[in-house]
Amino acid sequence: MNQVQSGSFAKRYLSMRSEKLGYGLSKAKRMKVCYLFLAPYAILFFTFFILPICTSIFYSFTYYNILEPARFVGLQNYINLILQDEVFLTSVKNTFVIAVITGPVGYILSFMFAWFINELPKWLRAVAVVIFYAPSIAGNAFTVFSIIFRGDAYGYLNSILLNFGFIDAPQLWLTNPASIMPVLIIVILWMSMGTGFLSFVAGFQGIDKSMYEAGYVDGIRNRWQELYYITLPSMKPMLLFGAVMSITSAFNVCDVPRALAGFPSTDYAARTVVTHLFDYGFSRFEMGYASAIATILFLVMILCKKVISAALEKVGT
Amino acid sequence: MSEFNKIKSTGTATLGKKKIKGTLFSDETQAVFCTKKNEAVLTIPYTEIKSMNNIRHGGLSSTVTIKLKDDSEYSFLLVEGQKVYNNIDKFWLNKPLQTYSRAEELRRLAELRGEKVQKVKKHVIKRRHPNRSIGGDIGIYIMLALVGFAMAFPLIFAVGSALKPLDELFRFPPTVLPQHPTLDNFSDLLVTMGQSWVPFSRYLTNTVFITFVGTLGHLIIASMAAFVLAKYDFPGGRTFFSIVVTALMFSGYVTGIPNYVIMSKLKMIDTYWALLLPAFAAPIGLFMMKQFMEGLPTALIEAAHIDGAGEFRIFWSIVMPNVKPAWLTVIIFSVQSLWNNSATTVIYSEAKKTLVYALQQIQAGGIARTGQAAAVTVVVMAVPIIIFVLSQSQILETMASSGIKD
Repeated sequence: MNQVQSGSFAKRYLSMRSEKLGYGLSKAKRMKVCYLFLAPYAILFFTFFILPICTSIFYSFTYYNILEPARFVGLQNYINLILQDEVFLTSVKNTFVIAVITGPVGYILSFMFAWFINELPKWLRAVAVVIFYAPSIAGNAFTVFSIIFRGDAYGYLNSILLNFGFIDAPQLWLTNPASIMPVLIIVILWMSMGTGFLSFVAGFQGIDKSMYEAGYVDGIRNRWQELYYITLPSMKPMLLFGAVMSITSAFNVCDVPRALAGFPSTDYAARTVVTHLFDYGFSRFEMGYASAIATILFLVMILCKKVISAALEKVGT
Repeated sequence: MSEFNKIKSTGTATLGKKKIKGTLFSDETQAVFCTKKNEAVLTIPYTEIKSMNNIRHGGLSSTVTIKLKDDSEYSFLLVEGQKVYNNIDKFWLNKPLQTYSRAEELRRLAELRGEKVQKVKKHVIKRRHPNRSIGGDIGIYIMLALVGFAMAFPLIFAVGSALKPLDELFRFPPTVLPQHPTLDNFSDLLVTMGQSWVPFSRYLTNTVFITFVGTLGHLIIASMAAFVLAKYDFPGGRTFFSIVVTALMFSGYVTGIPNYVIMSKLKMIDTYWALLLPAFAAPIGLFMMKQFMEGLPTALIEAAHIDGAGEFRIFWSIVMPNVKPAWLTVIIFSVQSLWNNSATTVIYSEAKKTLVYALQQIQAGGIARTGQAAAVTVVVMAVPIIIFVLSQSQILETMASSGIKD
């Protein structure tokens, strides 16, 4: 009796195992297609993105001036960077100020404007999206700001302020260390309707309209509730995308300070981590040192992204 | 029943063959029909009316039929869940029905209590619920207009400069709009382009080729990868995606040199592959496509599986049409970056250079070519903007019709 039972048990067990195995095999078969789909992208990505990044990180432990072969120096670059490079500390402070202000504000602004634009009539919406996205399309259009913030009496801002009598002598907006940062922050905010903004616009379009009707029946009273309970949760993927984009752009500020405040800027007042990197990498050809800067920045950005995606998980719950 | 909190209508009810004159009181929970002597003949609690479901699910009206023990039937039309009246006239002879909506009733009560009553606003434009106040609307429009102007300023400035005759270009301080607009700059640009060492059409062909192939390849390769990453759970998938997102954050400046070394090892320097292959694998496209595809219901894909569709078929004819806004956005990004790619580091034969490079050479001509340089800025900007505008209208159209969501 016992034997029969155990025999049937073994049989059942085996048949279950084989069933599971069959299931696993069929799954693996399907997975094979998955890898096939992923392969072209993965190969290209590893060659042109991961490999260079790994190489750069490797260079950060070497002395490498592009002409000579890299010479391994251990942590020397990092030690110099943190303990001896005063300009680096200034640049960290500046980047931090810029990132803390323009990152979240730019993110919220681009979401808000995408939200408002979404409710405009159709034809107006298309026009509005183009206009708001214009600074990003127009390439280096921010150079217009060098005319607006010009230091002599002919700069637009100076001439307006002089005419109204707010100031009695033209201000050196872009060379005075005290005013460089506010000006930069304004310009960067103006440019913040970028990738994130577009993905928000597309994301709003993708929300099922009947969700709003259902929400209204379930007792949603105003637009803020609607935003929090319906819109934000259904846009989570785009929100994460926008967040990563705004972290990237907030920490990678480089072209704007170089074009507007000069390179190097007065008293290093507009030096950011990436302009510092640019200085070492492409003016002094110390690629090892520049790679160390890039690696540190990279680590900070990863940390930042972790915090934000954890916060986004909680939205709408 | 409290004195005020009910809606009264008088008339005649027919119960079986009996006709009774009386009054129908309806309050928030039930409707009661009373005779003149205030005897309740009939009580109908709303909770028992099952067909009010329509209202509970957001409909505006519901017809309710009640069958009594003596087989007499009553039909009520409930409007907005608040108005109650008998919709069969013959039951309510002689007198018109007196009905109030609940809002009217509440307002009347508030007036009785001496509270301040808000008048109902009439909206010119019909808008969806819940609503914003008119003031809020106007405020938002004004803000959008102001910010929009600030955003459009560089575009206006660039176009304005391109239309300025030479003397206005050097006027100081610079004006935003030209006083005597002219197309001279553009015709000068055409003349200069006609004299270039490599025929100008060559530059144009190069750029169009790079932009087109690069965008198409990126779209297909990135979407394929995004599709499996978003919709299948396979070992390594998540790790791969998080690597892509992380790689997005590494500074592009330092990777330039290792990138060059890799390309020269692969013998791709001075070929278009050096531009195209990295463009195919741009992380932004994959990231964006994946985020959008995650919004597609898995049931849709499972259903297709059951119907016997293969993975590629599902990808091509089910997933891709449903994420049109995403891929149009990806096209915009890709076109924008490829079109503006001057490719000076990886391509050195003149005949393979791009349009933007050629135009930048004209721009670099200094003071003598200021007018043409302004025209160049507009030409370079125009193409991404046109593609953007075209795909924008596409996005809006496609999304209006597709309602497939979880």
